[in-house]
Amino acid sequence: MSIDVHSARPANPISLRRIFDSIQPMIAIAIPLLIWEAAGRMGWINTFLFPPPSQIAHTIWVQAGPNGHPPGAILMHVGRSLYRFLSGLALAIVIGTAVGIAIGMTRWGRLIFTPLISAIMPVPTLAWTPILLLLVGLDDRTTIIIVFIAASFEVIYTIVVGIEMMSVKVFWVARSMGASRQQIFWKVIIPGILPYLITGTRLGSGFAWRALIGAEMLAASSYGLGFMIYDASEYMSMDMIYGGIALVALLGYFIENVLIGRLEAATTSKWGVNVER
Amino acid sequence: MSTSNSSALPGPGSAHARMATTIHIVSLLRFLAPIVAMLLVWEFCVRTGLANAAILPSPSMILVRGAELLGFSHADHSPLISHILYSLVRAMSAFILGCMVAIPLGFLLGLNAFAYRWVSPIISLMLPLPALAWTPIFLVIMGQSEATIVWVCFLGAVFPILYATIQGVRSITKQSLWVVRSMGARRRDIFFKVLLPGSLPALMAGLKLGMAHSWRTLVAAEMMAALSSGVGFMIFSARTYMDVSTMFVGIVVLAVIGMTIEHGLFGPLEKMTVRRWHNTGRVGGSR
Repeated sequence: MSIDVHSARPANPISLRRIFDSIQPMIAIAIPLLIWEAAGRMGWINTFLFPPPSQIAHTIWVQAGPNGHPPGAILMHVGRSLYRFLSGLALAIVIGTAVGIAIGMTRWGRLIFTPLISAIMPVPTLAWTPILLLLVGLDDRTTIIIVFIAASFEVIYTIVVGIEMMSVKVFWVARSMGASRQQIFWKVIIPGILPYLITGTRLGSGFAWRALIGAEMLAASSYGLGFMIYDASEYMSMDMIYGGIALVALLGYFIENVLIGRLEAATTSKWGVNVER
Repeated sequence: MSTSNSSALPGPGSAHARMATTIHIVSLLRFLAPIVAMLLVWEFCVRTGLANAAILPSPSMILVRGAELLGFSHADHSPLISHILYSLVRAMSAFILGCMVAIPLGFLLGLNAFAYRWVSPIISLMLPLPALAWTPIFLVIMGQSEATIVWVCFLGAVFPILYATIQGVRSITKQSLWVVRSMGARRRDIFFKVLLPGSLPALMAGLKLGMAHSWRTLVAAEMMAALSSGVGFMIFSARTYMDVSTMFVGIVVLAVIGMTIEHGLFGPLEKMTVRRWHNTGRVGGSR
Protein backbone atom coordinates (compact mmCIF):
# COMPACT_ATOMS: atom_id res chain seq x y z
CA MET A 1 0.00 0.00 0.00
CA SER A 2 2.84 2.31 0.73
CA ILE A 3 4.29 1.73 -2.75
CA ASP A 4 1.30 3.41 -4.38
CA VAL A 5 2.40 6.76 -3.06
CA HIS A 6 5.68 6.52 -4.88
CA SER A 7 4.34 5.16 -8.16
CA ALA A 8 2.15 8.24 -8.54
CA ARG A 9 5.12 10.45 -9.36
CA PRO A 10 6.81 9.83 -12.73
CA ALA A 11 10.03 7.91 -12.29
CA ASN A 12 12.60 6.48 -14.66
CA PRO A 13 12.25 2.68 -14.92
CA ILE A 14 15.57 1.77 -13.33
CA SER A 15 15.70 3.87 -10.22
CA LEU A 16 17.47 3.14 -6.98
CA ARG A 17 14.10 3.00 -5.33
CA ARG A 18 12.99 0.10 -7.51
CA ILE A 19 16.18 -1.83 -6.98
CA PHE A 20 15.80 -1.36 -3.27
CA ASP A 21 12.17 -2.48 -3.35
CA SER A 22 13.03 -5.66 -5.21
CA ILE A 23 15.80 -6.76 -2.87
CA GLN A 24 14.17 -5.42 0.30
CA PRO A 25 12.68 -8.83 1.33
CA MET A 26 16.11 -10.39 1.15
CA ILE A 27 17.58 -7.63 3.27
CA ALA A 28 14.77 -8.16 5.77
CA ILE A 29 15.77 -11.81 6.08
CA ALA A 30 19.49 -11.05 6.12
CA ILE A 31 19.38 -8.54 8.99
CA PRO A 32 18.31 -10.99 11.72
CA LEU A 33 20.88 -13.48 10.43
CA LEU A 34 23.61 -10.83 10.63
CA ILE A 35 22.57 -9.90 14.17
CA TRP A 36 22.64 -13.61 15.08
CA GLU A 37 26.10 -13.95 13.53
CA ALA A 38 27.40 -10.88 15.34
CA ALA A 39 25.91 -11.96 18.65
CA GLY A 40 27.50 -15.37 18.24
CA ARG A 41 30.91 -13.95 17.39
CA MET A 42 30.77 -11.50 20.28
CA GLY A 43 29.80 -14.25 22.66
CA TRP A 44 26.51 -12.70 23.72
CA ILE A 45 24.63 -15.93 23.10
CA ASN A 46 25.41 -19.55 23.76
CA THR A 47 27.08 -20.70 20.54
CA PHE A 48 26.49 -24.34 21.40
CA LEU A 49 22.72 -23.90 21.35
CA PHE A 50 22.71 -21.12 18.76
CA PRO A 51 25.67 -21.62 16.43
CA PRO A 52 26.21 -18.61 14.14
CA PRO A 53 24.78 -18.91 10.58
CA SER A 54 28.25 -19.03 9.01
CA GLN A 55 29.10 -22.13 11.03
CA ILE A 56 25.80 -23.76 10.06
CA ALA A 57 26.40 -23.02 6.39
CA HIS A 58 29.92 -24.41 6.68
CA THR A 59 28.72 -27.65 8.25
CA ILE A 60 26.06 -28.11 5.58
CA TRP A 61 28.63 -27.39 2.87
CA VAL A 62 31.09 -29.91 4.27
CA GLN A 63 28.40 -32.56 4.77
CA ALA A 64 27.20 -32.09 1.20
CA GLY A 65 30.73 -32.57 -0.17
CA PRO A 66 33.12 -35.51 -0.32
CA ASN A 67 34.25 -34.98 3.28
CA GLY A 68 30.78 -35.54 4.68
CA HIS A 69 29.83 -38.46 6.84
CA PRO A 70 29.00 -40.41 4.66
CA PRO A 71 30.27 -38.48 1.60
CA GLY A 72 27.52 -36.32 0.12
CA ALA A 73 25.27 -37.00 3.12
CA ILE A 74 23.10 -33.92 2.63
CA LEU A 75 22.47 -34.73 -1.01
CA MET A 76 21.42 -38.25 -0.09
CA HIS A 77 19.08 -36.97 2.64
CA VAL A 78 17.50 -34.48 0.27
CA GLY A 79 17.29 -37.01 -2.55
CA ARG A 80 15.63 -39.63 -0.35
CA SER A 81 13.12 -37.10 0.99
CA LEU A 82 12.26 -35.92 -2.51
CA TYR A 83 11.90 -39.51 -3.71
CA ARG A 84 9.43 -40.29 -0.91
CA PHE A 85 7.63 -37.00 -1.41
CA LEU A 86 7.21 -37.37 -5.17
CA SER A 87 6.14 -41.03 -4.99
CA GLY A 88 3.49 -40.23 -2.39
CA LEU A 89 2.33 -37.19 -4.33
CA ALA A 90 2.07 -39.20 -7.56
CA LEU A 91 -0.03 -41.81 -5.76
CA ALA A 92 -2.24 -39.06 -4.33
CA ILE A 93 -2.72 -37.50 -7.77
CA VAL A 94 -3.71 -40.78 -9.44
CA ILE A 95 -5.96 -42.16 -6.68
CA GLY A 96 -7.23 -38.73 -5.63
CA THR A 97 -8.28 -37.91 -9.18
CA ALA A 98 -10.09 -41.23 -9.55
CA VAL A 99 -11.95 -40.79 -6.25
CA GLY A 100 -12.65 -37.11 -7.00
CA ILE A 101 -14.18 -37.96 -10.37
CA ALA A 102 -16.21 -40.76 -8.80
CA ILE A 103 -17.60 -38.34 -6.21
CA GLY A 104 -18.21 -35.54 -8.67
CA MET A 105 -19.71 -37.56 -11.52
CA THR A 106 -21.51 -40.52 -10.02
CA ARG A 107 -24.24 -40.94 -7.44
CA TRP A 108 -22.78 -44.07 -5.87
CA GLY A 109 -19.37 -42.46 -5.61
CA ARG A 110 -20.80 -39.58 -3.61
CA LEU A 111 -22.84 -41.92 -1.42
CA ILE A 112 -19.91 -44.18 -0.60
CA PHE A 113 -16.88 -41.91 -0.43
CA THR A 114 -18.20 -38.72 1.17
CA PRO A 115 -18.97 -40.28 4.58
CA LEU A 116 -15.75 -42.31 4.59
CA ILE A 117 -13.65 -39.27 3.78
CA SER A 118 -15.30 -37.06 6.36
CA ALA A 119 -14.73 -39.77 8.96
CA ILE A 120 -11.02 -40.21 8.15
CA MET A 121 -10.10 -36.59 7.41
CA PRO A 122 -10.12 -35.24 11.01
CA VAL A 123 -7.47 -37.78 12.08
CA PRO A 124 -4.05 -36.09 12.18
CA THR A 125 -2.06 -37.72 9.35
CA LEU A 126 0.93 -38.54 11.50
CA ALA A 127 -1.23 -40.55 13.90
CA TRP A 128 -1.26 -43.29 11.26
CA THR A 129 2.52 -43.64 11.44
CA PRO A 130 2.73 -46.19 14.31
CA ILE A 131 0.01 -48.34 12.75
CA LEU A 132 1.70 -48.24 9.36
CA LEU A 133 4.99 -49.11 11.01
CA LEU A 134 3.43 -52.33 12.23
CA LEU A 135 1.40 -53.07 9.11
CA VAL A 136 3.98 -52.16 6.50
CA GLY A 137 7.30 -52.05 8.29
CA LEU A 138 10.12 -49.64 8.83
CA ASP A 139 10.89 -48.68 5.25
CA ASP A 140 10.08 -46.14 2.56
CA ARG A 141 6.55 -47.45 2.08
CA THR A 142 5.41 -46.10 5.46
CA THR A 143 6.54 -42.55 4.70
CA ILE A 144 5.19 -42.74 1.15
CA ILE A 145 1.76 -43.77 2.42
CA ILE A 146 1.81 -40.90 4.93
CA VAL A 147 2.59 -38.44 2.14
CA PHE A 148 -0.20 -40.00 0.09
CA ILE A 149 -2.74 -39.61 2.91
CA ALA A 150 -1.70 -36.01 3.57
CA ALA A 151 -1.93 -34.92 -0.06
CA SER A 152 -4.93 -36.88 -1.32
CA PHE A 153 -7.70 -35.09 0.62
CA GLU A 154 -6.80 -31.76 -0.92
CA VAL A 155 -6.62 -33.29 -4.41
CA ILE A 156 -10.01 -34.97 -4.00
CA TYR A 157 -11.60 -31.82 -2.63
CA THR A 158 -10.39 -29.52 -5.41
CA ILE A 159 -11.40 -31.98 -8.12
CA VAL A 160 -14.91 -32.29 -6.71
CA VAL A 161 -15.13 -28.48 -6.62
CA GLY A 162 -13.76 -28.33 -10.17
CA ILE A 163 -16.41 -30.70 -11.48
CA GLU A 164 -19.15 -28.80 -9.67
CA MET A 165 -17.85 -25.55 -11.17
CA MET A 166 -17.99 -26.89 -14.70
CA SER A 167 -20.76 -25.38 -16.73
CA VAL A 168 -23.61 -27.72 -17.62
CA LYS A 169 -23.74 -26.02 -21.03
CA VAL A 170 -20.43 -27.60 -21.96
CA PHE A 171 -21.98 -31.03 -21.49
CA TRP A 172 -25.07 -30.02 -23.47
CA VAL A 173 -22.93 -28.80 -26.33
CA ALA A 174 -20.84 -31.96 -26.36
CA ARG A 175 -23.88 -34.20 -26.11
CA SER A 176 -25.92 -32.34 -28.72
CA MET A 177 -23.06 -32.78 -31.14
CA GLY A 178 -23.27 -36.51 -30.56
CA ALA A 179 -20.37 -37.16 -28.25
CA SER A 180 -20.31 -40.56 -26.61
CA ARG A 181 -19.89 -40.99 -22.85
CA GLN A 182 -16.28 -41.91 -23.37
CA GLN A 183 -15.64 -38.87 -25.53
CA ILE A 184 -17.29 -36.60 -22.95
CA PHE A 185 -15.05 -38.06 -20.29
CA TRP A 186 -11.77 -37.71 -22.18
CA LYS A 187 -12.46 -34.53 -24.14
CA VAL A 188 -14.59 -32.52 -21.71
CA ILE A 189 -14.13 -33.67 -18.13
CA ILE A 190 -10.42 -34.44 -18.09
CA PRO A 191 -9.28 -31.13 -19.66
CA GLY A 192 -11.87 -29.32 -17.53
CA ILE A 193 -10.52 -30.60 -14.21
CA LEU A 194 -6.84 -30.38 -15.11
CA PRO A 195 -6.35 -26.81 -13.82
CA TYR A 196 -8.11 -27.76 -10.59
CA LEU A 197 -5.95 -30.84 -10.31
CA ILE A 198 -2.85 -28.67 -10.46
CA THR A 199 -4.23 -26.31 -7.81
CA GLY A 200 -5.15 -29.27 -5.63
CA THR A 201 -1.68 -30.71 -6.09
CA ARG A 202 -0.09 -27.44 -5.01
CA LEU A 203 -2.23 -27.22 -1.87
CA GLY A 204 -1.75 -30.89 -1.14
CA SER A 205 2.00 -30.68 -1.60
CA GLY A 206 2.21 -28.22 1.31
CA PHE A 207 0.47 -30.67 3.65
CA ALA A 208 2.43 -33.57 2.22
CA TRP A 209 5.81 -31.92 2.77
CA ARG A 210 4.97 -31.17 6.41
CA ALA A 211 3.72 -34.70 6.99
CA LEU A 212 6.78 -36.17 5.30
CA ILE A 213 9.18 -34.41 7.64
CA GLY A 214 7.20 -35.56 10.67
CA ALA A 215 6.91 -39.10 9.35
CA GLU A 216 10.63 -39.27 8.66
CA MET A 217 11.32 -38.22 12.23
CA LEU A 218 9.08 -40.95 13.56
CA ALA A 219 9.57 -43.73 11.07
CA ALA A 220 12.62 -43.40 8.84
CA SER A 221 15.43 -45.81 9.52
CA SER A 222 17.97 -44.08 7.31
CA TYR A 223 18.20 -40.88 5.28
CA GLY A 224 15.64 -38.18 4.70
CA LEU A 225 15.71 -34.62 6.01
CA GLY A 226 13.37 -35.40 8.91
CA PHE A 227 15.54 -38.33 9.93
CA MET A 228 18.62 -36.14 9.60
CA ILE A 229 17.45 -33.48 12.05
CA TYR A 230 16.02 -35.99 14.50
CA ASP A 231 19.19 -38.03 14.40
CA ALA A 232 21.26 -34.87 14.86
CA SER A 233 19.33 -34.05 18.03
CA GLU A 234 20.53 -37.32 19.53
CA TYR A 235 24.13 -36.32 18.85
CA MET A 236 23.32 -32.73 19.87
CA SER A 237 24.87 -31.37 16.70
CA MET A 238 22.94 -28.14 16.59
CA ASP A 239 24.34 -26.86 13.29
CA MET A 240 23.02 -29.94 11.51
CA ILE A 241 19.57 -29.33 13.03
CA TYR A 242 19.48 -25.66 12.04
CA GLY A 243 20.85 -26.46 8.60
CA GLY A 244 18.26 -29.18 8.16
CA ILE A 245 15.44 -26.84 9.18
CA ALA A 246 16.68 -24.26 6.68
CA LEU A 247 16.76 -26.91 3.96
CA VAL A 248 13.25 -28.06 4.86
CA ALA A 249 11.99 -24.46 4.63
CA LEU A 250 13.77 -23.71 1.36
CA LEU A 251 12.75 -26.96 -0.33
CA GLY A 252 9.15 -26.59 0.88
CA TYR A 253 9.02 -23.07 -0.47
CA PHE A 254 10.61 -24.18 -3.75
CA ILE A 255 8.20 -27.09 -4.27
CA GLU A 256 5.04 -25.19 -3.47
CA ASN A 257 5.74 -21.81 -5.00
CA VAL A 258 8.26 -22.38 -7.76
CA LEU A 259 7.80 -25.92 -9.06
CA ILE A 260 4.03 -26.31 -8.86
CA GLY A 261 3.31 -22.58 -8.60
CA ARG A 262 4.86 -21.96 -12.03
CA LEU A 263 2.94 -24.88 -13.48
CA GLU A 264 -0.27 -23.51 -12.01
CA ALA A 265 0.33 -20.00 -13.34
CA ALA A 266 1.15 -21.36 -16.80
CA THR A 267 -1.94 -23.54 -16.99
CA THR A 268 -4.40 -21.03 -15.58
CA SER A 269 -3.33 -18.44 -18.12
CA LYS A 270 -3.57 -21.00 -20.91
CA TRP A 271 -6.86 -22.69 -20.09
CA GLY A 272 -8.39 -20.08 -17.82
CA VAL A 273 -10.00 -21.55 -14.75
CA ASN A 274 -12.18 -18.52 -14.22
CA VAL A 275 -13.82 -18.43 -17.65
CA GLU A 276 -17.34 -19.57 -17.00
CA ARG A 277 -18.77 -20.62 -13.69
CA MET B 1 -40.68 -22.02 11.43
CA SER B 2 -42.56 -25.21 12.17
CA THR B 3 -42.49 -24.56 15.91
CA SER B 4 -43.95 -21.06 15.64
CA ASN B 5 -46.68 -22.18 13.24
CA SER B 6 -47.65 -25.33 15.04
CA SER B 7 -49.83 -23.55 17.58
CA ALA B 8 -51.83 -21.79 14.89
CA LEU B 9 -52.02 -24.62 12.39
CA PRO B 10 -51.50 -27.85 14.30
CA GLY B 11 -52.19 -30.26 11.40
CA PRO B 12 -49.78 -29.26 8.62
CA GLY B 13 -47.21 -27.91 11.05
CA SER B 14 -46.62 -31.19 12.84
CA ALA B 15 -46.68 -33.09 9.56
CA HIS B 16 -43.99 -30.74 8.32
CA ALA B 17 -41.92 -31.30 11.42
CA ARG B 18 -42.31 -35.06 11.11
CA MET B 19 -41.28 -34.87 7.48
CA ALA B 20 -38.21 -32.81 8.40
CA THR B 21 -37.11 -35.30 11.06
CA THR B 22 -37.66 -38.19 8.63
CA ILE B 23 -35.47 -36.51 6.04
CA HIS B 24 -32.91 -35.85 8.75
CA ILE B 25 -32.85 -39.50 9.84
CA VAL B 26 -32.66 -40.76 6.26
CA SER B 27 -29.68 -38.52 5.47
CA LEU B 28 -27.98 -39.59 8.69
CA LEU B 29 -28.50 -43.27 7.83
CA ARG B 30 -27.24 -42.65 4.33
CA PHE B 31 -24.14 -41.03 5.83
CA LEU B 32 -23.50 -43.87 8.26
CA ALA B 33 -24.25 -46.74 5.84
CA PRO B 34 -20.87 -46.81 4.01
CA ILE B 35 -18.95 -46.49 7.28
CA VAL B 36 -20.89 -49.34 8.87
CA ALA B 37 -20.50 -51.41 5.69
CA MET B 38 -16.75 -50.90 5.71
CA LEU B 39 -16.54 -51.87 9.38
CA LEU B 40 -18.57 -55.02 8.67
CA VAL B 41 -16.30 -56.02 5.79
CA TRP B 42 -13.31 -55.41 8.04
CA GLU B 43 -14.84 -57.50 10.82
CA PHE B 44 -15.65 -60.26 8.34
CA CYS B 45 -12.09 -60.29 6.97
CA VAL B 46 -10.61 -60.64 10.44
CA ARG B 47 -13.12 -63.27 11.60
CA THR B 48 -12.55 -65.45 8.54
CA GLY B 49 -8.81 -65.11 8.87
CA LEU B 50 -8.27 -63.13 5.67
CA ALA B 51 -6.47 -60.50 7.77
CA ASN B 52 -4.15 -61.32 10.64
CA ALA B 53 -5.92 -60.32 13.84
CA ALA B 54 -2.60 -59.71 15.60
CA ILE B 55 -1.70 -56.96 13.13
CA LEU B 56 -5.13 -55.74 12.12
CA PRO B 57 -7.66 -56.24 14.93
CA SER B 58 -11.35 -56.28 14.11
CA PRO B 59 -13.61 -53.32 15.00
CA SER B 60 -15.23 -55.34 17.78
CA MET B 61 -11.84 -55.99 19.37
CA ILE B 62 -11.05 -52.28 19.12
CA LEU B 63 -14.37 -51.46 20.75
CA VAL B 64 -13.68 -53.85 23.63
CA ARG B 65 -10.21 -52.35 24.09
CA GLY B 66 -11.71 -48.85 24.05
CA ALA B 67 -14.14 -49.76 26.80
CA GLU B 68 -11.29 -51.32 28.77
CA LEU B 69 -9.18 -48.17 28.46
CA LEU B 70 -12.11 -46.00 29.42
CA GLY B 71 -12.07 -47.97 32.64
CA PHE B 72 -15.66 -49.05 33.12
CA SER B 73 -14.38 -51.86 35.28
CA HIS B 74 -12.68 -49.67 37.88
CA ALA B 75 -14.45 -46.37 38.11
CA ASP B 76 -11.82 -44.31 39.91
CA HIS B 77 -9.11 -44.59 37.27
CA SER B 78 -9.51 -44.24 33.51
CA PRO B 79 -6.27 -44.18 31.53
CA LEU B 80 -7.92 -43.01 28.32
CA ILE B 81 -9.61 -40.00 29.92
CA SER B 82 -6.39 -38.89 31.58
CA HIS B 83 -4.49 -39.20 28.27
CA ILE B 84 -7.16 -37.11 26.58
CA LEU B 85 -7.10 -34.47 29.31
CA TYR B 86 -3.31 -34.19 29.14
CA SER B 87 -3.44 -33.76 25.38
CA LEU B 88 -6.23 -31.20 25.52
CA VAL B 89 -4.45 -29.12 28.16
CA ARG B 90 -1.24 -29.09 26.10
CA ALA B 91 -3.00 -28.20 22.86
CA MET B 92 -5.08 -25.49 24.48
CA SER B 93 -2.18 -23.89 26.32
CA ALA B 94 -0.14 -23.83 23.11
CA PHE B 95 -3.11 -22.32 21.31
CA ILE B 96 -3.74 -19.66 23.94
CA LEU B 97 -0.03 -18.81 24.02
CA GLY B 98 -0.12 -18.55 20.24
CA CYS B 99 -3.09 -16.19 20.37
CA MET B 100 -1.42 -14.01 22.98
CA VAL B 101 1.61 -13.56 20.76
CA ALA B 102 0.05 -13.61 17.30
CA ILE B 103 -2.95 -11.33 17.70
CA PRO B 104 -1.18 -8.24 19.13
CA LEU B 105 1.73 -8.75 16.75
CA GLY B 106 -0.69 -9.20 13.86
CA PHE B 107 -2.44 -5.92 14.67
CA LEU B 108 0.89 -4.14 14.93
CA LEU B 109 2.12 -5.48 11.60
CA GLY B 110 -1.23 -4.92 9.92
CA LEU B 111 -1.39 -1.29 10.98
CA ASN B 112 2.24 -0.30 10.61
CA ALA B 113 3.37 -0.45 6.98
CA PHE B 114 7.03 -0.09 7.90
CA ALA B 115 7.01 -3.02 10.31
CA TYR B 116 5.05 -5.06 7.81
CA ARG B 117 7.60 -4.48 5.06
CA TRP B 118 10.45 -5.65 7.24
CA VAL B 119 8.83 -8.55 9.07
CA SER B 120 6.59 -10.14 6.43
CA PRO B 121 9.47 -11.76 4.46
CA ILE B 122 10.47 -13.61 7.61
CA ILE B 123 6.89 -14.71 8.25
CA SER B 124 6.44 -15.95 4.70
CA LEU B 125 9.57 -18.03 5.14
CA MET B 126 8.36 -19.49 8.45
CA LEU B 127 4.76 -20.14 7.37
CA PRO B 128 5.39 -23.22 5.18
CA LEU B 129 7.89 -24.70 7.64
CA PRO B 130 6.45 -27.68 9.52
CA ALA B 131 6.40 -26.89 13.23
CA LEU B 132 7.58 -30.42 13.93
CA ALA B 133 10.93 -29.59 12.34
CA TRP B 134 11.66 -27.48 15.45
CA THR B 135 11.22 -30.47 17.75
CA PRO B 136 14.92 -31.54 17.67
CA ILE B 137 16.05 -28.09 18.82
CA PHE B 138 13.66 -28.13 21.76
CA LEU B 139 14.63 -31.71 22.50
CA VAL B 140 18.25 -30.64 22.84
CA ILE B 141 17.47 -27.54 24.89
CA MET B 142 14.70 -28.86 27.14
CA GLY B 143 14.71 -32.62 26.72
CA GLN B 144 11.58 -34.74 26.62
CA SER B 145 9.22 -32.57 28.59
CA GLU B 146 5.93 -30.73 28.68
CA ALA B 147 7.69 -27.53 27.62
CA THR B 148 9.01 -29.12 24.42
CA ILE B 149 5.56 -30.30 23.40
CA VAL B 150 3.87 -27.00 24.19
CA TRP B 151 6.53 -24.94 22.39
CA VAL B 152 6.34 -27.06 19.25
CA CYS B 153 2.53 -26.80 19.20
CA PHE B 154 2.83 -23.08 19.88
CA LEU B 155 4.96 -22.70 16.76
CA GLY B 156 2.35 -24.70 14.87
CA ALA B 157 -0.45 -22.41 16.00
CA VAL B 158 1.21 -19.00 15.97
CA PHE B 159 1.98 -18.50 12.28
CA PRO B 160 -1.49 -19.23 10.83
CA ILE B 161 -3.06 -16.92 13.43
CA LEU B 162 -0.48 -14.20 12.80
CA TYR B 163 -0.90 -14.41 9.05
CA ALA B 164 -4.70 -14.32 9.26
CA THR B 165 -4.68 -11.37 11.68
CA ILE B 166 -2.43 -9.37 9.38
CA GLN B 167 -4.62 -10.17 6.38
CA GLY B 168 -7.74 -9.24 8.33
CA VAL B 169 -6.39 -5.91 9.53
CA ARG B 170 -4.97 -5.00 6.13
CA SER B 171 -8.28 -5.80 4.44
CA ILE B 172 -9.96 -2.93 6.29
CA THR B 173 -10.08 -0.01 3.90
CA LYS B 174 -8.32 3.21 4.79
CA GLN B 175 -11.53 5.13 4.08
CA SER B 176 -13.46 3.57 6.92
CA LEU B 177 -10.65 4.54 9.31
CA TRP B 178 -10.61 8.09 7.93
CA VAL B 179 -14.38 8.39 8.26
CA VAL B 180 -14.40 7.33 11.88
CA ARG B 181 -11.40 9.44 12.72
CA SER B 182 -12.85 12.53 11.05
CA MET B 183 -15.97 12.08 13.13
CA GLY B 184 -13.80 12.32 16.21
CA ALA B 185 -13.58 8.71 17.37
CA ARG B 186 -11.08 7.92 20.09
CA ARG B 187 -8.33 5.34 19.61
CA ARG B 188 -10.25 2.88 21.74
CA ASP B 189 -13.38 3.29 19.64
CA ILE B 190 -11.41 2.81 16.44
CA PHE B 191 -10.04 -0.43 17.78
CA PHE B 192 -13.26 -1.88 19.13
CA LYS B 193 -15.69 -0.51 16.55
CA VAL B 194 -13.65 -0.68 13.33
CA LEU B 195 -10.48 -2.74 13.50
CA LEU B 196 -11.71 -5.64 15.58
CA PRO B 197 -15.03 -6.25 13.82
CA GLY B 198 -13.46 -5.63 10.42
CA SER B 199 -10.72 -8.17 10.87
CA LEU B 200 -12.93 -10.71 12.63
CA PRO B 201 -13.84 -13.01 9.72
CA ALA B 202 -10.18 -13.48 8.80
CA LEU B 203 -9.22 -13.69 12.46
CA MET B 204 -11.75 -16.44 13.17
CA ALA B 205 -10.51 -18.41 10.17
CA GLY B 206 -6.99 -18.00 11.50
CA LEU B 207 -7.93 -19.14 14.99
CA LYS B 208 -9.61 -22.20 13.55
CA LEU B 209 -6.57 -23.03 11.47
CA GLY B 210 -4.26 -22.33 14.41
CA MET B 211 -6.18 -24.69 16.68
CA ALA B 212 -6.21 -27.37 13.97
CA HIS B 213 -2.46 -27.01 13.47
CA SER B 214 -1.85 -27.07 17.21
CA TRP B 215 -3.89 -30.26 17.55
CA ARG B 216 -2.31 -31.99 14.55
CA THR B 217 1.19 -31.07 15.62
CA LEU B 218 0.51 -32.16 19.18
CA VAL B 219 0.00 -35.80 18.30
CA ALA B 220 3.36 -36.14 16.58
CA ALA B 221 5.11 -34.00 19.20
CA GLU B 222 3.74 -36.28 21.92
CA MET B 223 5.06 -39.28 20.07
CA MET B 224 8.54 -37.79 20.16
CA ALA B 225 8.68 -35.89 23.42
CA ALA B 226 6.04 -37.12 25.88
CA LEU B 227 7.23 -39.15 28.82
CA SER B 228 4.10 -40.80 30.11
CA SER B 229 0.86 -39.25 28.95
CA GLY B 230 -1.16 -37.92 26.04
CA VAL B 231 -3.04 -39.58 23.20
CA GLY B 232 -0.01 -39.42 20.91
CA PHE B 233 2.09 -41.08 23.58
CA MET B 234 -0.57 -43.74 24.06
CA ILE B 235 -0.55 -44.59 20.35
CA PHE B 236 3.21 -44.58 20.04
CA SER B 237 3.93 -46.57 23.19
CA ALA B 238 1.38 -49.21 22.16
CA ARG B 239 3.74 -49.95 19.28
CA THR B 240 6.21 -51.50 21.69
CA TYR B 241 3.67 -54.09 22.76
CA MET B 242 2.27 -54.56 19.23
CA ASP B 243 -1.03 -53.42 20.75
CA VAL B 244 -2.75 -52.30 17.55
CA SER B 245 -6.20 -52.12 19.16
CA THR B 246 -5.01 -49.34 21.46
CA MET B 247 -3.60 -47.49 18.46
CA PHE B 248 -6.95 -47.63 16.70
CA VAL B 249 -8.73 -46.48 19.85
CA GLY B 250 -6.35 -43.51 19.84
CA ILE B 251 -7.09 -42.77 16.19
CA VAL B 252 -10.84 -42.81 16.80
CA VAL B 253 -10.39 -40.52 19.82
CA LEU B 254 -8.29 -38.11 17.75
CA ALA B 255 -10.89 -38.02 14.99
CA VAL B 256 -13.74 -37.39 17.43
CA ILE B 257 -11.87 -34.63 19.28
CA GLY B 258 -10.74 -33.01 16.02
CA MET B 259 -14.32 -32.94 14.76
CA THR B 260 -15.61 -31.62 18.09
CA ILE B 261 -13.08 -28.78 18.11
CA GLU B 262 -13.93 -27.78 14.57
CA HIS B 263 -17.71 -28.08 14.59
CA GLY B 264 -18.58 -27.91 18.27
CA LEU B 265 -16.23 -25.12 19.33
CA PHE B 266 -15.47 -22.95 16.34
CA GLY B 267 -18.74 -23.42 14.45
CA PRO B 268 -20.89 -21.67 17.10
CA LEU B 269 -18.14 -19.18 17.95
CA GLU B 270 -17.82 -18.16 14.33
CA LYS B 271 -21.57 -17.79 13.98
CA MET B 272 -21.86 -15.80 17.18
CA THR B 273 -19.11 -13.25 16.60
CA VAL B 274 -19.11 -12.80 12.85
CA ARG B 275 -22.87 -12.64 12.62
CA ARG B 276 -23.18 -10.25 15.52
CA TRP B 277 -20.89 -7.65 14.04
CA HIS B 278 -21.34 -8.22 10.38
CA ASN B 279 -25.10 -8.10 10.10
CA THR B 280 -25.44 -4.90 12.08
CA GLY B 281 -22.41 -2.84 11.25
CA ARG B 282 -21.22 -3.71 7.76
CA VAL B 283 -17.91 -2.20 8.72
CA GLY B 284 -15.33 -1.75 6.02
CA GLY B 285 -14.79 -3.87 2.99
CA SER B 286 -13.83 -7.06 4.68
CA ARG B 287 -13.08 -8.85 1.43
